[in-house]
Amino acid sequence: MVSLTRRRVPPAFRLPPVANEAAASAARRTVAAAASRELWLALHLPNVILESLRPAAAPQAEAASVAVVDLEHDGKVVCACDETAAAAGVTPGMALNSALALLPGLQTLPRNPLREHALLDAVAQLGIRFTPRVSLEPPDAVLLEVRGSLRLFGGARALCEQVREQLQASGITGVLALTPTPLASLWFARAGQQVALRRVDQLASRLAPLPLVVTRWPERSVQLLVTMGVRNLGGCQRLPRDGFSRRFEPRLLAMLDRASGRVPDPRVAFRARERFVARRDLEPELADTQRLEDASLPLLDELCTFLRLRGRGVQTVEWRFVHRHAPDTQLRLRFVEPVGAAQRIAHVFHERLARLELPEPVRAVRLASGPLVELPQPATELFVADRRESGSAVPQLVERLRARLGAEAVHGLCLVPEHRPESAWRARYRWSDPPVTASPKPTDPAAGTLRPLWLLAEPQSLSGGAQPRYQGTLELEEGPECIESGWWDGKDIARDYYIARNPAGVRLWVFRERPRKGRVAGGWFLHGVFG
Amino acid sequence: MPLDDLLRQHPALWRAREQGGAGSAPPGLPTGFAALDRCLPGGGWPQQGLVEILTDRHGIGELSLLMPALATLCRGAEVPGSTGGWLAWVAPPYQPYAPALSAAGIDVRRVLVVRASLPAEWAMEQALRSEACSAVLGWANPSDLTVLRRLQLAAEQARCLAVLFRPAKAGEHPSPAVLRIELQGSPAGLQARIVKSRGGRPVCVQLGHLGAPWQAGPQPLQRAQFARS
Repeated sequence: MVSLTRRRVPPAFRLPPVANEAAASAARRTVAAAASRELWLALHLPNVILESLRPAAAPQAEAASVAVVDLEHDGKVVCACDETAAAAGVTPGMALNSALALLPGLQTLPRNPLREHALLDAVAQLGIRFTPRVSLEPPDAVLLEVRGSLRLFGGARALCEQVREQLQASGITGVLALTPTPLASLWFARAGQQVALRRVDQLASRLAPLPLVVTRWPERSVQLLVTMGVRNLGGCQRLPRDGFSRRFEPRLLAMLDRASGRVPDPRVAFRARERFVARRDLEPELADTQRLEDASLPLLDELCTFLRLRGRGVQTVEWRFVHRHAPDTQLRLRFVEPVGAAQRIAHVFHERLARLELPEPVRAVRLASGPLVELPQPATELFVADRRESGSAVPQLVERLRARLGAEAVHGLCLVPEHRPESAWRARYRWSDPPVTASPKPTDPAAGTLRPLWLLAEPQSLSGGAQPRYQGTLELEEGPECIESGWWDGKDIARDYYIARNPAGVRLWVFRERPRKGRVAGGWFLHGVFG
Repeated sequence: MPLDDLLRQHPALWRAREQGGAGSAPPGLPTGFAALDRCLPGGGWPQQGLVEILTDRHGIGELSLLMPALATLCRGAEVPGSTGGWLAWVAPPYQPYAPALSAAGIDVRRVLVVRASLPAEWAMEQALRSEACSAVLGWANPSDLTVLRRLQLAAEQARCLAVLFRPAKAGEHPSPAVLRIELQGSPAGLQARIVKSRGGRPVCVQLGHLGAPWQAGPQPLQRAQFARS
């Protein structure tokens, strides 16, 4: 039942008297005008529990009637049932024993929330054909913003017909409602009213007769409202706003306002999640990694075609080699940046596969992509002089080195503004290309002082007592430079640094612990080499 | 036409006493040390082919010798239209210290450190072949001449500064490198002996104390003391 009414109905919902009524009404008008730019189509799926289990129930669906039991109550309460069971008197909420007494041949299935969510996901995927703005409303509804799609699909009526056809083709029961606000659409759909409303100012009056159940407010609040004599939304709207918000949660009043278009109702957009999964059975089982690689590469080509068609890339790829007895061998490839080229993935795959030990011959290969991500598309130049300028070859180099040497073996450097020499730098393992334009340098506390090009991982104790020796007696050239810092993180140091030279001409950075309370001046340590 | 001019026109002939001139050698990357530049064909580090630095000790100034050239390569990155890229350090003996590199004029964000345990030559060759780096420094001592030839070939094609640090003993054995310099430290300063130079001749250069050549003059020591209150 679709009714497009253009009759103006005086709003039944009045704001409480406020000091500046004119300003309030002006604000109301602007909000109303803004909200009417949207049209939300709610798809309520009343039989989602049953329909999500249909493939499992299908073989005997005609033979026996089906009831789904809830896991929360030890599987003793019916939470959904099909039509034949309902005709026999089984209702949701009934104890399973009573249902079985009514219908001895009742087939029971456990509820599966994961499959319900998957069904909802499938409906959202279906909705994406009609509009890019799709939002999930778990557990049993999907919202589509269709204002911008009306002209393309030939108006609201035609669009609703097409959505309904799509749902029927997938074997999903759906109740559709179209209003300017998402919440109102949802409530109408839950109430089973297939309405189509285009005007915001009609919303409040049309919502008024809806029962309170559609809001899915907490049981206690609904009970309290019923004892107050409020049985529908109109009753709620007539209650004084401040009292209503004080007595119940403020959330409820906000929901009422959102439903009637008084305040905006932003929604989280649904994003289609896509993965690539493919499998190839190997007819003679393969034990040789070289032949296995040749046999796996067609899958990689498939993946890259899949990525290219979507203009996307992946950062992780998972190979799985299936054996006859042994558990599957997994090979996970990670890339420092999103990739979409087969050659690049193949390079890393080759390196990793060469080092892989297979417990048994491989029967089948399975390739699964990680989440698809945006592929950076660098602007191509007509006259590319050098790949070095763009730095585009660096991530590839890093991947190739890491594939063979391990992820820890390759790193970059970054400066840390710190006085302690060992804390003044950090290895950079996460990859992101530095901006080409030079960013302002972090303030360097050691500016103006000499630092060695090599630093030892750990200060090395020097022999020789007061006259330190390192391949010969050291001669102190410059110093001391006192560095005393770090008391706040437990790694405090108090050292006098000197630049020293040994007879071979090696310049060294040495230090001596400063005498502090409770400690005497320590021995000499080597901390760096000037190179 | 005088004989001298005729000889000069012939591309296959070079004169031993005209080193560092505009001979057949391609222009090199200035080392930052005039005395050394004069002795090198092309007037600087060769940018095609492998450079071998032979030294037994770390810390006599072998790295300071390269710093001006590396800083030039890094500055090239800021100028649009020039080759400027990453510096790869393959299997360094110690940790390259970022603050000192930064003080020497090197962009530490474009430094790549590879801690290769065994196949350092392989990692170095990969870095050269990737065309991603404008300088590749490696610390390894490949005993196999084929490995050295592969490195030399990769360095020849990569058009970047490729430096291999080897122990001084390796100088006794032949190498396909374009330039081999043996460094010796002494209290008087650094001494560089050019063992082999394609298009040049063996010569010995006194470089003195390299210290920190990127610094204009002696810097007053600053006291950075943060006593706990």
